[in-house]
Amino acid sequence: MVLKIFFPQCCNTADSGLLVGHWIPGHNSAVVLAVIHYPFIPGQVKKYLSELQSQTQVDLTVLGSWSMPKEGKEGMDSFLKDLSTIFPQKCWLQLSREIGKRGFICQVVQNNGKLLQDREQKNGDEGSEGDKIILIHYDQRKVMLSQLHPVQDVGQKSDIEHSELRLVFQTVAHSQPLFFLDKYDDGPLKLTHWQSEGREASIIAELLKQASVPVCIFLTWLLSLWHWFCSFRILHLYPVLFISSKLSTCVQSGYRAVHFKTVFSPKKAATHMEFMRKANIFVSFLLDIALGLLLISWLYRENRISKLADTLVPVADRVAKEFFLYHIHLWSSYIHLMSPFIERILWYVGLSACLGLTFALSVLSDIVALLTFHIYCFYVYGARLYCLKIYGLSSLWRLFRGKKWNVLRQRVDSCSYDLDQNTADTTLFPLQLFIGTLLFTILLFLLPTTALYYLVFTLLRLVVVLFQGVIHLSVDFINSFPLFAIGLRICRPYRLAEGVKFKVLCQEPGTPLHLMMEINPLKCSSVLQCYRTPTYSCYPKDSWAALCKKLFVGELIYPWKQKTDKTD
Amino acid sequence: MGADSGPGAPAAVPWRKVLYERQPFPDNYVDRRFLEELRRNIRVRQYRYWAVVRETGLIAQQVSCVAVFLTVWSYMEQGDLVPSAVLWVCLSCALLGYGLYEVLGGSCVRERTRLVDLQSATIFLAFTFGFSPVLKTLTESVSTDTVHAMSAVMLLAHLVSFPYAQPSLPGSLSLNAALFGSVCLASRLPGALHTFTMLSCALLVFALWPCLLHRMREKAEWSFPWAAVLVCLAGVRGLESLWPKGALLLSLALLTLTLLCPLLLVHLQRHKDNIHGPWDEAEIREDLSRFLN
Repeated sequence: MVLKIFFPQCCNTADSGLLVGHWIPGHNSAVVLAVIHYPFIPGQVKKYLSELQSQTQVDLTVLGSWSMPKEGKEGMDSFLKDLSTIFPQKCWLQLSREIGKRGFICQVVQNNGKLLQDREQKNGDEGSEGDKIILIHYDQRKVMLSQLHPVQDVGQKSDIEHSELRLVFQTVAHSQPLFFLDKYDDGPLKLTHWQSEGREASIIAELLKQASVPVCIFLTWLLSLWHWFCSFRILHLYPVLFISSKLSTCVQSGYRAVHFKTVFSPKKAATHMEFMRKANIFVSFLLDIALGLLLISWLYRENRISKLADTLVPVADRVAKEFFLYHIHLWSSYIHLMSPFIERILWYVGLSACLGLTFALSVLSDIVALLTFHIYCFYVYGARLYCLKIYGLSSLWRLFRGKKWNVLRQRVDSCSYDLDQNTADTTLFPLQLFIGTLLFTILLFLLPTTALYYLVFTLLRLVVVLFQGVIHLSVDFINSFPLFAIGLRICRPYRLAEGVKFKVLCQEPGTPLHLMMEINPLKCSSVLQCYRTPTYSCYPKDSWAALCKKLFVGELIYPWKQKTDKTD
Repeated sequence: MGADSGPGAPAAVPWRKVLYERQPFPDNYVDRRFLEELRRNIRVRQYRYWAVVRETGLIAQQVSCVAVFLTVWSYMEQGDLVPSAVLWVCLSCALLGYGLYEVLGGSCVRERTRLVDLQSATIFLAFTFGFSPVLKTLTESVSTDTVHAMSAVMLLAHLVSFPYAQPSLPGSLSLNAALFGSVCLASRLPGALHTFTMLSCALLVFALWPCLLHRMREKAEWSFPWAAVLVCLAGVRGLESLWPKGALLLSLALLTLTLLCPLLLVHLQRHKDNIHGPWDEAEIREDLSRFLN
């Protein structure tokens, strides 16, 4: 049996004292959390430990003794043996370190008094070759802050046995109150742990924490106002609903409202995933605003808005003049009507970028959609005409060959003429046949023209759709990218752990094996996969083959349909 | 072959050619009556030369119909024929033919009343007249060679798929092909009235004439050869006025079709060797390994 002892690095140079920690149930290992120094009163130690137990739900016990003899304090050994009677354990660890040597000496005293030692040379008939002790050193602060992936929720799967590593991480994370006592506290106990040199605190962080609660409450109240406004009956009429579902600005604003609800809720995040989600949304939002302000500062400098307005009018005019004459007239009159206002409109619309870059992109997408509405109209005309023509041609082609479409059987049958005079099948003879042939000829010869118009309008529409798709994809990307998680992964990689790796520190005979435990950070791809904010992703819903088939037949294509339910 | 030597056939039970009873022979056993029921050439007809020639007249006259149509088109394209005149001629021919049709088929019960006929004729005429400007400009963007090639292919298809066996029913493909070809040709004419005239002419020649011909064959057998000869002569004569060599070719083709092909058919009948009959299973006794090398 191998006994594993997890020893914090901060206690490597601690003075002699008692080891406080937790035995991992089910595995033969122990986690050392702190060292309580001499002098102490055993009753107060027990009282403190039971207080902490009720606070942290971690079963803290005295594991054993730690001795690092300095000058003038040699006579501790006998003292240590006595202590094992005061704090009854099934195993009492005796770790000691000599100055100058790297390895520790470890002795384990079992309940029945049997002594286990890790010695390289053993007598033949001791029979304890399987009993080894491994000391694993770990960085206490990093393990405390780290989250082991894959993340398991506390509520579910509580009956499944956790792995040893997960239990170690959980123990250290849950025993935070143990680390609140530092060397400046005037208490009866003196502890050594990672924070014993002085607790980290910053006034700004504390002030922010205090201030955030009323700010959150205020913002939540504002959000509820917004929701109340959105719940007006008039806004639920069908035309308004339809338009607002098509405009990406409304979609994006609705989406942001949901985000804000998550971020500004005054409740503290209970689980790790909730916390990460909140943090991700918040950081993304800040970045969004920053980019939007950057855009504004670039756009409004050097009078760019008026330059844009000046070029927009003739361009729109020229574009409109290249199409059907009736639409030309409509559009050019519309543009000329609007031209004095365009600069103003652009100026105010551009200010919407202060709500975030995603907003500006959504507004751009909507403007493009509105400006190219005539292209959409022409595309629909051309596509419908082409579709009708293809349909007519295919059915008349069947007539040409003398076959009919059997609706009942959903198949093509040949037209059979009955010779019997009484039941002559006169439906196809002779008039419909002639007219059918004439129509077929006409449709066939008009096919090149219609096909060409359809091709041109479809290509234009595809260009517009592509542009809108690029914008939507980038908005989607900004919305869903877990910036906070990636930042955490880069700056503090130990917070998101995938596992651990061990390094051999010291393997001397006569001392147990010393291993250094280092945290393996999560891979970036796993970070992205795990922490992506769920979005209304608008991936194309047709495969390439289906798209080509639709284009050929003349069906209308809407490649960027919004999915109505969230994808997680 | 497994005719006589069966594997140890007991002579007590005679072999019967049935499979629904269990017999002591294997399933593919046949006794000496192997292929006894084979029949040869049971459906071969004995053709008589002049009867076949008579029948071939139908094909010849159909080819000549096409030739007549092309002649009319050619004259109209050159401007020698005035469309209104042609239109009147077509109308009078149609009425004449209709009258003849009625006279010949007097005893039959009519399945279509005269009103329905009039209705369909009116609709067709109105439709074609309305669409003739569209039809006229249909092939403007197509080159002349393509148009001629398309029409040629279509008229050929018409000739090939014409239901010579039952000409009373105009086969869908043949009629449609003829109309398509005539639309292609008609769109090359100088005016909309020309187009309309051409289409009416096509309807007359390709749709209504075969019906009349069939009725004539049914009721007055003697008139059929005369009609066929008349049409052929008209075709040759018409083509001769345009292109003499073509006329020569056409007459040669017609003669070959009418006189030579039946001769060939009758002559080759004696080489017919069709086998029919219930088949018996054969067992291969040869050594076929020589085919493997």
